[in-house]
Amino acid sequence: MPVRELVCVGAIVMLGWCLCGPASVCADEVPAKFFDEQVKPILVNRCLSCHGADKKGGLDLRTKAALLQGGESGAVIEPGSPQESLLVDYVQSEEMPPKKPLSDAEVAILTRWVARGGYFPDEPLDIFALTTETRAGYDWWSLRPLSTVLPPSPDEIGASWSQHPIDCFVRAALHTKGLSPSPKADKRTLIRRATYDLTGLPPTPQEVAAFEKDQREDAYDRLIDRLLASPHYGEHWGRHWLDVVRFGESRGYERNEVIDNAWPFRDYVIRSLNDDKPFDQLVREQLAGDVIGPGEIDVEVGTAFLVCGPFDDVGNQNPEQAAQSRANTIDDVIRATSEAFLGLTVGCSRCHDHKFDPIRQTDYYSLYATFAGIQHADRELGTEEQKEQRAGQLAPLTKRKEELQKEFAKFEGELTAAAIKRADEFVGDWLRPPASRRGTEEVFPPVLARHVRLTVDGTDVNPAANIRYRIDEFEVWTSERGTSEGPSRNVALADNGGQAIGKNFVAEDFVGAYVAELTIDGKFEPPWIAAGPELVVTLAENETIDRVFFSSDRSGAAGDQFIATFVGEYQIDVSLNGEDWQAVASSATRQPVTEAHRNKRIVEHLITDQQRQRRADLTTQLAEVDRKIAEIAPLPTWWVGTFKEASGPFHVFVGGSPQKTGEVVVPASPSVLKQATTGYHLAADAPESERRRQLAEWITAPDNPLTPRVLANRLWHYHFGTGIVDTPSDFGFMGGRPTHPGLLDWLAAQVQSADWKLKQIHKLIMTSQTYQQQSAFEEIAAGIDADSRYLWRFPPRRLSAEEIRDTLLAIAGKIDFTAGGPGFRLFRYMQDNVSTYLPLDQFGPETYRRSVYHQNARATVIDIMTDFDAPDCAFATPRRTETTTPLQALTMMNHSFIIDMARFLAERIEAEGPPEQGGGESAPAKTAAQVRRAFELALARGPDQRELNAAALLVEKHGLAALCRAMFNTNELIYLD
Amino acid sequence: MPNPAKNNVTDSLHRALLSRRGFLGDAHTGLLGISLASLLGRDLLASEHDKVALESRAPRQLGNGKLQFAPRAQRVLQIFCPGGASHMDLWEHKPSLDKYHGQPLPGEENFLSFQGRSGNLMRSPWPFAACGESGHKISTMLPHMAQHVDDIAFVHSMTSKTNTHGPGCVFMNTGHVTEGFPSAGAWVSYALGSANDTLPTYVTIPDIRGEPPNGKANWSNGFLPAQHQAIGMNAQQPIRNLHLPSQVSAEEEADTRQLLELLNQHHAAQHPGDSELQARMESYRLAARMQLSAPEVTNMSGETPATLHLYGTEDANPLKAAYARNCLLARRLLEKGVRYVNLYCASRASGVDGLLNWDAHRTLVSDYERHCPVFDQPTAALLTDLKQRGLLEDTLVLWTTEFGRMPTHQAETTGRDHNPDGFTCWMMGAGVKGGTSYGTTDEFGRRAEENPSSVWDFYATVLHILGFSHEQLTYYYNGFDRRLTDVHGHVIHPLLA
Repeated sequence: MPVRELVCVGAIVMLGWCLCGPASVCADEVPAKFFDEQVKPILVNRCLSCHGADKKGGLDLRTKAALLQGGESGAVIEPGSPQESLLVDYVQSEEMPPKKPLSDAEVAILTRWVARGGYFPDEPLDIFALTTETRAGYDWWSLRPLSTVLPPSPDEIGASWSQHPIDCFVRAALHTKGLSPSPKADKRTLIRRATYDLTGLPPTPQEVAAFEKDQREDAYDRLIDRLLASPHYGEHWGRHWLDVVRFGESRGYERNEVIDNAWPFRDYVIRSLNDDKPFDQLVREQLAGDVIGPGEIDVEVGTAFLVCGPFDDVGNQNPEQAAQSRANTIDDVIRATSEAFLGLTVGCSRCHDHKFDPIRQTDYYSLYATFAGIQHADRELGTEEQKEQRAGQLAPLTKRKEELQKEFAKFEGELTAAAIKRADEFVGDWLRPPASRRGTEEVFPPVLARHVRLTVDGTDVNPAANIRYRIDEFEVWTSERGTSEGPSRNVALADNGGQAIGKNFVAEDFVGAYVAELTIDGKFEPPWIAAGPELVVTLAENETIDRVFFSSDRSGAAGDQFIATFVGEYQIDVSLNGEDWQAVASSATRQPVTEAHRNKRIVEHLITDQQRQRRADLTTQLAEVDRKIAEIAPLPTWWVGTFKEASGPFHVFVGGSPQKTGEVVVPASPSVLKQATTGYHLAADAPESERRRQLAEWITAPDNPLTPRVLANRLWHYHFGTGIVDTPSDFGFMGGRPTHPGLLDWLAAQVQSADWKLKQIHKLIMTSQTYQQQSAFEEIAAGIDADSRYLWRFPPRRLSAEEIRDTLLAIAGKIDFTAGGPGFRLFRYMQDNVSTYLPLDQFGPETYRRSVYHQNARATVIDIMTDFDAPDCAFATPRRTETTTPLQALTMMNHSFIIDMARFLAERIEAEGPPEQGGGESAPAKTAAQVRRAFELALARGPDQRELNAAALLVEKHGLAALCRAMFNTNELIYLD
Repeated sequence: MPNPAKNNVTDSLHRALLSRRGFLGDAHTGLLGISLASLLGRDLLASEHDKVALESRAPRQLGNGKLQFAPRAQRVLQIFCPGGASHMDLWEHKPSLDKYHGQPLPGEENFLSFQGRSGNLMRSPWPFAACGESGHKISTMLPHMAQHVDDIAFVHSMTSKTNTHGPGCVFMNTGHVTEGFPSAGAWVSYALGSANDTLPTYVTIPDIRGEPPNGKANWSNGFLPAQHQAIGMNAQQPIRNLHLPSQVSAEEEADTRQLLELLNQHHAAQHPGDSELQARMESYRLAARMQLSAPEVTNMSGETPATLHLYGTEDANPLKAAYARNCLLARRLLEKGVRYVNLYCASRASGVDGLLNWDAHRTLVSDYERHCPVFDQPTAALLTDLKQRGLLEDTLVLWTTEFGRMPTHQAETTGRDHNPDGFTCWMMGAGVKGGTSYGTTDEFGRRAEENPSSVWDFYATVLHILGFSHEQLTYYYNGFDRRLTDVHGHVIHPLLA
């Protein structure tokens, strides 16, 4: 923050100088020059925010015509006569601007301007033209072209800090702050720092020993090269990028269904980084991979970027709300794109022009037009050749399948036709009314029963289905004969001791949701939802019964909606022992509920053995074809989005409401960079693919200064914990100011001249003295620069959630380095209309992969991960927070994962054994060796004597696993110097 | 370690409470004890000046002069009935529905609501009765709640931006319809910090039937630091990882902690000035205290039979008994100084509309005959209990839901569809003028008519009662000083005592 303040104060001071100096000295400047240099800044800075587009008081000071026209109080200037000009009167009397009056010098300038004729240029004033005290203009630092900066070489830079260009920049800045750098860190610190930085993993004790021993001059360079070549580099840095692009593997919002085919994007990011794919190419592929590499699966997969954000798929019938929901979906894409690549918060221009940056609302809707064709969906991927080949293989089979289906239909049709012809013969058998959702009654001769069973052979919507019907209440009534028993009773009721058993659909997080007991609870709502064909009601004791009554919609509220699906065909049996059953009623004597049910009944009656055989044959043949179809390998179908032509015209949504369309817009480059870049405007009917391709080209064009600046800053941010700009996705007015503007531009230029290959930039940064400093605290320096933004020391950091988890797995010797493919889960996924994610209490070996391969669902809380600030991916996370909470302590001490890993580490140490020393070894010596090994594995160092003694004591008393659990909880394990 | 990536609390506070441009940065606050005090976000404002170490048990003044107004409330209880609880069947009497029952809703005959077409106007199945001295009428389905009406300030003219449960719940809790923003509880944790040494600052109590629509996003810390996230617990489920694993004896735990302390002290001695290390050590001590106090707070054996009976914790209806125990848990948490408690009554959408929550699309009568008895007695008991114990003096109680319901029945059903254009929320307790109603919907309950109010207005008022200007409680995130009330909101002064 202090830096930002300095910049601001600087700007004010400079402004003051401009205003006072010439105003009082020069007399005869050219009116245009005088206006541009002195009047315009005041108008833009102090007046236009009200008297511009907002036209407060009817006054618009942006154009000459509007100025001369004046406002509600009439003309505001009388050229040549300041004393008769309302504007001068207002500013002199300090009535305007209302909150903070103009300075005397500023009043003098305006007065002189009016006195000299009130020159006003022909082109309108643009509030975005200049940066002011309260907002950024087109001249904002990050929007200017990259400057050609050379590393400074002032005398103050000592020899060891003048070799590397980065050190020159950093040392010069330190000097201006009265700070000096720290000495070089020791080798153990360096290898730990570099290994975590590039791979997110701890170095092994062997790697530490080898590096400490390596006396070659280029040992450190070799270390960096080795780490950059490691496949774990892409896994670690890929995770960074996944944060930035809000990569998530569930849909978000209420349904939040998990997405099982988004992982190829995660693998693509990892692979691209490991391959050192030029980053500008990566950007283009993410925005338009399908356009620039059609058929190339490794390129097309990039477009998952567009659709890996949250979206609401609940299906709204209200058209206004549905339009709003769609607008929210596109908004996510606009924000993700502008923030990830450009560091611009374009999302703030959704309802109005940006309040702080020169981003117009029309810019937002130009991007809206660009992305309007995106659909969040799967896409089949493959080359034209592959698609044709598969189609070729499928064609004969699908043809055969269609033939068989036709044959089958014809066969069944003939059976049905024959049945229909003879329908009249059967009508006499079905005299009773059809089964009714409102209530179906079966009365039968009194029978002694303990068990009553309903068997369903067809629901009332589908004669072939026997699940997914519902029963709200199932009643079993005693016979009314025997006067001693009094009136008939419903003995099925749970209150009367009845029990009901039947398979139900399950809501895992609410066990009682759809259970069979609901049929005997004496209430009509909610119903049992059957997952099987049977319901068995067991009575408290043997009872003489003569009636059952059941329904799915007793109130009649649901009508014929699916939510009250009922039985169509059924039979009712009773039993005394639960084994021998006696049929007492069935639907066979009822009228069928639909014609389909009727036809089925007659067909079953008339069908011959030969016809039965034919039906079986056809069924077998169909199954065979289906099997062959399944054998042809499908093309990959991934969550990478589909694209529809979205034809214009496109409009600004006034106030962000899709119901209020304003100005017409076309797909175009945002005007925010109009002074630095060559923009583009497309026709409203330009192809959808062209819109995204053009945007991708523009973002990665050599004259776009933001993309390389933002990327260079992200690299710096991850290497040092804070970027040169501390708001990596916001390079606007509300964001941070660069601590080292020259270095940022220089580094951005390096990115461009390295053809956007990042590995050499990493090496450039990591081979600087700046990076290799110690992290030791220094009180005086901290008093000047507490956060080491100027890098007087290497800023220590805490490991990320992923690093902590991976570290435990690695130390325990259990880490599974299987790369790529579908992710593992640390949650239990439950779906019942909506999705619920419950954290697991036990993590099995299938979860021992690196954390980057965890399936990244939204709105989940995962032990260790969430505790240590792994973000929910509802939003992009350009920088993670780093918090300390007691919940972390609870998890790290008590979660079964920690207990498991402690045990595995103990077993590992036991198994590896102490170095053989021949013959018997005393217990204390063995313990000491184990303690040493535990320290080396966990902390990359041996214990000192005091640590050794205390640790050995714990091991003697409680075993090696107790020590391992303690080691996992040390600060030293998760804080990196 | 004063690393700016931590978004440390001092920084946030400065950003929040002082003018951005006016703050010239006190570099030392980042170094001295602030990390200790920032644990659990405890008494942030106080710590900024006092550098109060956690060990100090001195009473702390709320907000310590950083508040914009005199605070009336020290803590908040927010009861949430997810699913869109019907205003015209619970809180706002609409006699015209009786009068025009079965007739079309004028001007909206072809209106398409969330699930589609609506039928004609439908009267509430239950009579309303005048309550207390105010005579405000509420549904006779809520006989126990009736006794509190004189303490309640109803806002009958609430409106939402969305007619969909997920975004609606998130909106009602965070002030934004999209996911990822901090909930009101997280904001209050950020603003006021903790008022206790052994329990979380912000607790959410999900219903036994599951999580509300959009799940954990409802109590997310969003972009606020993780210490402001809600800790989930209820009478059925303790705080995660609270208990010592069965393999570890108490003695082993004590010895392990002793070694850990030694190793950490040793490491800290080599890293003087990096206070984050001390903070983490303190967090372990705090966790140990929490392991002792959290089971205490969930152990209800000390409650009198009269209290248990009042709440209905032993009721034969297991859903009611479970919710009653959660109500009692809420009181115990508030009593122990938890700053913000979210108490849910009902949960998410399911295979049957209105089964697990208040979403009575098709069968209003049976749905509400199921939900009201679960809600009524335990909630009323909680309010009575808070009042008896004097806790209402400085506890603000909110009752919220994501939207209301249509005055018409949904086509071919006897239920009502979603209605974001007018519904009821209410507040009571500290700083609230009881027995009042603010705003109304039109005569049918379709749209807010008199004094339409927004979720932002509601929270502007809540923050005001807590002593904050909703426009000044901010946190920078990606391009903007973010607020609970977005860029909207006006304090509803008539609700204030």
